[in-house]
Amino acid sequence: MMNTPTKMTVALLALIAMSASYAQSDVSEANDTADTSEALKIAALEALIVAPPERALPLVTKVLDSNNNNEIKSRALFILSQIDLPEARQQLLDVAKTGDDELRQEAVRMIGIGGDADALAGLADMYNSGDENMREAVLEAYLIAGDTQAVANIAASAKNADEFENAVHMLGAMGAQDELRALRSNGVFPDVLIEAFAISGDLESLRELALDGSDTQRQANAIEALGIVGGDEVDQTLMQIYQGTDSAEIRESALSGMLISGYDEGVLELYRASDDVGEKRELLEMLTIMDSDRVFEVIDAALAGDR
Amino acid sequence: MNDDTLVLYYYNDGLSDRERRQVEAALNSDPAVAARYEALCRQLNDMADPALHAVPAHTLQRWHDSIDRAAQMERNRQQQPTPSFSLPSFVWGAAITAALAIGIAIGVFFTSADTNAPIADFRVADLQPQDNATAFTRGVKMYLRDTQQELSSMPVDTAADRAMLILQIVEQNRLFERAAEQNDSQSLARVLRAFEPILLRLAADDIAPEDAEALRAQLAFELNVMLTKLSRDASKDSQST
Repeated sequence: MMNTPTKMTVALLALIAMSASYAQSDVSEANDTADTSEALKIAALEALIVAPPERALPLVTKVLDSNNNNEIKSRALFILSQIDLPEARQQLLDVAKTGDDELRQEAVRMIGIGGDADALAGLADMYNSGDENMREAVLEAYLIAGDTQAVANIAASAKNADEFENAVHMLGAMGAQDELRALRSNGVFPDVLIEAFAISGDLESLRELALDGSDTQRQANAIEALGIVGGDEVDQTLMQIYQGTDSAEIRESALSGMLISGYDEGVLELYRASDDVGEKRELLEMLTIMDSDRVFEVIDAALAGDR
Repeated sequence: MNDDTLVLYYYNDGLSDRERRQVEAALNSDPAVAARYEALCRQLNDMADPALHAVPAHTLQRWHDSIDRAAQMERNRQQQPTPSFSLPSFVWGAAITAALAIGIAIGVFFTSADTNAPIADFRVADLQPQDNATAFTRGVKMYLRDTQQELSSMPVDTAADRAMLILQIVEQNRLFERAAEQNDSQSLARVLRAFEPILLRLAADDIAPEDAEALRAQLAFELNVMLTKLSRDASKDSQST
């Protein structure tokens, strides 16, 4: 196996040679030669990770400034993200601000990987002035950096429903329960927040909404969302809601929640407790959909004429 | 006799018969190597504890079951339309229609109540801090190597198999990402987190073969770089102690 100094020497030599060859490159060069050249260049970039940052930085810069294709420049950006120097971070920001869109988005991803607070703060302007792809790249960078507050700020100042929805979904994926609750307390309450509560596993917020009968539609949504969180506590809540309501819609939502949660024991318990033929048929259907082994007990009992 | 060789010996993988015999001879003749191997076995056994994986796997299964059931219910609802909001539509749609949505769905596994259960075990309490870091680094390196191999041998023409394999990698990736956070390796955690959107794009069933190949090449490069970086850091650490 190649040791570290050898790898570094190869990297330096290869990159210097490649830079020179690109300066004099002939467009009629055969494709296989180009492929070999690119493969070697990528290998050289990979080996640069073992170089001291001060030596790696100018070489990576040279690759970015040369007439390389985007694949090679993207690899260079990744190496740049691993160089712990202010100049490297500044260079990432520079690439993110101007030039080829694909590289700009890749540089934004690398800023997320770098995790530098100032550079991350600089992404806010790019989000506001960028197109949909750039906005997605910035959100992804915040996800990578774990910067929940930045995503919450985007959600709070969203200019349209799509922007809000994307940011809220991202907060859900990041498990940012506090930020999601803060958005709820702002007064605006679209259904997407319920989805995000479920995705972030915020049982407390969902249960509160599931037990709040002031808005039936929202209550039904929250009840079904509880199923995504799952667990014993959810199962008990769903059972309590099903048994405690007179509303067919809420009962159906509780049943859906049990289905999503996989709580077949609860459905079976409801089936056994029910005297209503229509309800029993619905519960039996649900057990069938759930592919529960318990359905055979029920079918057997029904065919035998038992409850 | 370096640690990498001992790790390969432990896993009975990657060593020729002659090399295995050399390791055995060293273990029998050199108490220092034997002691090092014993410590290594302890660390690897801790990492291989089934409890490390049980909770996420179960949760993953539950999620898959939920998706299946939600899809079944959705089909059922289409036959009997009702006016109510259909969250299963969201669940089903979120799981299969977009990479971001899949990512969100995956987030459920790790952001819910299971968060603290498995990965805390990566902090091996009865080992010295240096041993902890070494065990963690070794675990990450093995994960990166395994992922490289899985991605390079992954069939790209069977979407379902590919998606399942990638979801398993994502699950592992999340474990190591959390382990990195708990071992104060924030920079590594960010890199691992950055792999995830790429993996999820790769899992999309409508991805073009050339796009899949490009993403695989990108991941291979980034995995290699991190592997080299971790090896370099480990080497520096061992030289400084």
